[in-house]
Amino acid sequence: MTTAPTSITLGPIREAPIRRGFMLSALAALFILTLRQNLRGRRLLVLSLLFLLPVVLPGVIKWAPDSPPPEALEFAFVFNLIPHLLAPLTALLYAAGAIQDEVEDQTLTYLLLRPLPRWALYWTRLAAAWLTTSVLTGLFTTLTLVVVYWNTPELWGDVLPRRAAIVVGLMALAQVGYCSLFGIFGLGTRRVLSLFGGLIYIIVFEGLLANFDAVVRRLSVVYYFRVLSLHWLVPSGSTKWPTGDPGSATRMPPWSEIWSIDLTTAFSAERCLTILLAVSALFLLIGAMRMRSQEFRMKTAEGS
Amino acid sequence: MTPIIDFEGVSKWYGNVIGLNKLTVRIPAGVTGLLGPNGAGKSTLLQLATGQLRPSQGRVRVLGQPVWNNAALLRQVGLCPEQDAFWEWMTGFDFVRTCARLTGMGRRAASEAAERALATVGMTEHMGRAIRGYSKGMRQRTKLAQALVHEPRVLFLDEPFTGTDPLGRHEMIEVIRALGAAGRSVLVSSHVLYEVQALTPNIILLHRGRLVAEGHVRQIRDLIDAHPHRIVLVCDNHRALAAKVVAWDDVEGVKVMSSESALLVETRRPDAFYGRLPILATRDGVRIREVYSEDDNLEAVFKYLVNK
Repeated sequence: MTTAPTSITLGPIREAPIRRGFMLSALAALFILTLRQNLRGRRLLVLSLLFLLPVVLPGVIKWAPDSPPPEALEFAFVFNLIPHLLAPLTALLYAAGAIQDEVEDQTLTYLLLRPLPRWALYWTRLAAAWLTTSVLTGLFTTLTLVVVYWNTPELWGDVLPRRAAIVVGLMALAQVGYCSLFGIFGLGTRRVLSLFGGLIYIIVFEGLLANFDAVVRRLSVVYYFRVLSLHWLVPSGSTKWPTGDPGSATRMPPWSEIWSIDLTTAFSAERCLTILLAVSALFLLIGAMRMRSQEFRMKTAEGS
Repeated sequence: MTPIIDFEGVSKWYGNVIGLNKLTVRIPAGVTGLLGPNGAGKSTLLQLATGQLRPSQGRVRVLGQPVWNNAALLRQVGLCPEQDAFWEWMTGFDFVRTCARLTGMGRRAASEAAERALATVGMTEHMGRAIRGYSKGMRQRTKLAQALVHEPRVLFLDEPFTGTDPLGRHEMIEVIRALGAAGRSVLVSSHVLYEVQALTPNIILLHRGRLVAEGHVRQIRDLIDAHPHRIVLVCDNHRALAAKVVAWDDVEGVKVMSSESALLVETRRPDAFYGRLPILATRDGVRIREVYSEDDNLEAVFKYLVNK
């Protein structure tokens, strides 16, 4: 049984000890709250299990006879599976849920009732989503690299920490694009619809169109990830591995050939960065404007 | 006198459905009850007044300021929402402190404010427990605490008595009265006249998004007392409770609703009936889990007012 005094006397109204200025304290609290929410629940568990695929599979493949060299495994898992599928999927689940989850759980009221500008609320939630997705992607990417290059001389020299740091940085950069885009997906539509729309985008743009040697691939985040990878990274070791026939070997074509990207005509690294960040900033602005004008009607028992 | 809450020709549509219909009402300082049956537009009014919704037409002002996208105003406004939603994994203290931190308070100030707010609603003893383990009454109190934690000048309480037991309801009423006595303006929504009557004589009646009446509760009571009042008591030992209740003079009829472990009581003196309930719960050891009034009587009054 709860205990409350039967006769209650409250003091006069006083000014609450709220800091003046830009409410950095409130935004920091919101950021921490969002991180705490992101670090619990089934979503993190499911994503961690998915991210174990590129960690476990290379390990299994390496046990097989005539296994491909680390560069081929790195290309398949670190530069294809993760950026094509797992990274955007992680961003979709966290960024689209930044506002949508609170709407579905009917707890957005507790955020909208605070003296925070809506655009700041939106950006802070997305910033926490970006940090979560970047850490998750970066952690498992590093683990994958360790497994791929395990027992090779490159591991403790070229791969760790330099190559891993660049790849993780590239992933974090890609997540800026994904989070700013998927944040908009989570405004105004139902969770199922935003997830469905996001999956369609991932499959069509990041999965299919990014592979066509056409201008349209510049609409995908993966394209910029690839160009930057080619600018900043080169395969660290041999690109040949033995086949079943003695004396023969399979040659892995250069990454630029597989991706159909000619660095002499492609964007420079600076231009890639500028485009990616500028488009992300545009998406963030669109999202903030949408958030500012959006109504979030909470379901009530009376349904009025 | 300058109204604290000012709605001027406000309409709110949800597609083809109308939530509020050209509502003009000026609510002065003090405690005011907002009454109406389900679907009357009470929650819409409160969500408009707290800037969660934007009026389709008209003007909403609180403390003389427009509400929509006015973050600074929200420092002086608190809302206890109707929906039973929380960040369930938090403790009560953590939840209220987080709400205080989101208002811009520093760590220490937020902790002290959370302790004060939880003490005010009688939740000090349970504030270290996870919210997911709280009873309905505890959850209502915790929601009220988060609305109070930043010491707002204006409080909006949306159906704050839903699901509370008679004792909890009595205590909640005491808290709201004390808030009014301390100078806060409180707008309490309910679909049960007698709950609101215990708080304040000033009421606003809504029906289908329109203002039906506003003024002193006595005028409304005179109308409602012409109809038998039907009250539902949910209780595990409902047959034993029926035996006790049927002996009361002011009870005109008792119907046992076995499938719901509940009694439906008809009375023309609801004041007296409600007054006895806490005593019944404490002295006679009857554990009443929930008390609510069926809408029928209030609905009848609204029909009368709308058609007169």
